Amino acid sequence: MKTSRLGAWISIGFGAIYFVLPLIATVEFSLRMRRGAYSFDAYASVFSEAQFRETFGYSMLMALLTIVFGMLLVVPTAYWVRLRLPQIRPIVEFITLLPLVIPAIVIVFGYLRMYNSSSILPLTGSTTGTNILLVLSYITLSLPYMYRAVDTAMRAIDVRTLTEAAESLGAGWATILFKCIFPNVMSGVLSGAFITLAIVMGEFTMAALLNRPAFGPYLQLVGANRAYEPSALAVIAFSITWLSMGLLQLVSRFHKAAPAKS
Amino acid sequence: MAFLELANLKKSFGNTQVVHDFNMQIEKGEFISFLGPSGCGKTTVLRMIAGFETPSAGRIAIGGKEQNNLKPNKRNIGMVFQAYALFPNMTVHDNVAFGLKVAGTQATEIDARVKDMLGLIKLDHLADRYPYQLSGGQQQRVALARALAVRPQVLLLDEPLSALDAKIRVSLREEIRAIQQKLGITTVFVTHDQEEALSISDRIVVMNAGRADQIGTPFEIYNTPATRFVASFVGTLNMIEAKVVDPSANRIQIGDQGVTLKQSVAAFKAGDTVSLALRPEAGSLAESAPCDTKLTGQVVSAHFLGSVIRTRMNVGGNVISFDMFNSPGVTPPAAGETVTLRFMAADLLVIRD
Repeated sequence: MKTSRLGAWISIGFGAIYFVLPLIATVEFSLRMRRGAYSFDAYASVFSEAQFRETFGYSMLMALLTIVFGMLLVVPTAYWVRLRLPQIRPIVEFITLLPLVIPAIVIVFGYLRMYNSSSILPLTGSTTGTNILLVLSYITLSLPYMYRAVDTAMRAIDVRTLTEAAESLGAGWATILFKCIFPNVMSGVLSGAFITLAIVMGEFTMAALLNRPAFGPYLQLVGANRAYEPSALAVIAFSITWLSMGLLQLVSRFHKAAPAKS
Repeated sequence: MAFLELANLKKSFGNTQVVHDFNMQIEKGEFISFLGPSGCGKTTVLRMIAGFETPSAGRIAIGGKEQNNLKPNKRNIGMVFQAYALFPNMTVHDNVAFGLKVAGTQATEIDARVKDMLGLIKLDHLADRYPYQLSGGQQQRVALARALAVRPQVLLLDEPLSALDAKIRVSLREEIRAIQQKLGITTVFVTHDQEEALSISDRIVVMNAGRADQIGTPFEIYNTPATRFVASFVGTLNMIEAKVVDPSANRIQIGDQGVTLKQSVAAFKAGDTVSLALRPEAGSLAESAPCDTKLTGQVVSAHFLGSVIRTRMNVGGNVISFDMFNSPGVTPPAAGETVTLRFMAADLLVIRD
């Protein structure tokens, strides 16, 4: 074996230990709730808790709404920028990157200041309003990933020519967007959706400061008060993320198998 | 009144004017080709007809109805693009049916029309395939069927053969022409390939720097090019500089050899320089060749091109190429040899700049 290859294997080994060992330890610890034997007691305890089901369901719903409304914002924007306003693309890319450089806590304090109960738009004055604000804040957080995923998918198709072809056949804007463009950027939409799901399910700052019963604050609460259940919850959270990533891989592989040639 | 009228069309992008005062009248059922090099404005004119570009000035009318203020989706114009532009998420059937569905046509009518169209392009057996499962030629035929399915008033073809290989290009252009003649649809075809334009058009518009240099039948364009640009762009042509000797008698001089032209040079003065054009196939070295004009010069080179031998000769500083058909009895002239080129004076054309 060549020295360079041996070095590569050693690097991979160290990397694997760095990532995998803590995970194995967490899984192992989550199974040790019953004294002297491995069991799924911690998982059973987590799943039997009403608060788990409520917060998990709430975050799932928020993630779904974030994906739907986020895509309704991102797809037409990316489409319009590619078709009509390519000169403002750097500006839009810069704006979509802002949530990566502005801490979530700064964004949420901004929201609280802008939309508190004594403002012109008092979203935090009601539960529904706060839920709407939370979805909007999740859309902001997932914007860098959603926009890039959709924009990359649009780069793979000739948006301008497809639009003109549809127009010459009599189609209006809604038909073009939903029948000709949207289905052809579905791989990007799904990639963005899975990343958004992973982000929203583990998000803490926004939900905690807006005082909503989301999964992130629940994870923190359990982690502060219990021993084995936090490990079980961490494994569940990891599983959700991995499932999302796995689905993302499946979608991109499916897309490669059927390339969108125009 | 012409079916498709383009009157004083102008188009500018910023400070750059890409189309200058373009005028054209196209009759119903005509097949017109816009021929020119890249950047000459041919695609811009096509896109203005389709509604994808707004004219800076001028008028576009189809069947007497002004189109300038109509959106592309209200013009009932079929368009075929260079990049095929089939919808990747739809099957061949759904692609062809798209325009009909948008128009709210009944399902039974859609199925019948799609079947007709796929029969027309001989791809009815591929109705369930997706675009990525088709070859380039098949995709372009589907794009043609899709454009024709909505029974457009005018069919626009924007370099539809450019992305295909040479053999497919020839067969598909013949297929396009046959379908166009069968349906009698008014068609505008954009190309930079002179052979394509010459072979399938009723008339050709040769475009140069945003202007129509010449509009005419393929025969007229090839045999009597109106400008130096048309002469040099369409086919191979010898450009010969000559001196006017006697304008009233159409006498000119090439080097030190006098020639009487059939075309008038009355607009010139004695001593003026005039540009003449001569096709390589118009001249012959054979003594038996029918001719009324001769030029003598020295052979510069002779190239064997398979079916023909192209010889270049120097006549008073002008290098003139001419073609001889290859046959076992023909011996190419050697470089430096003095030869006499025989041709008809009518083939020597006066070219304006």
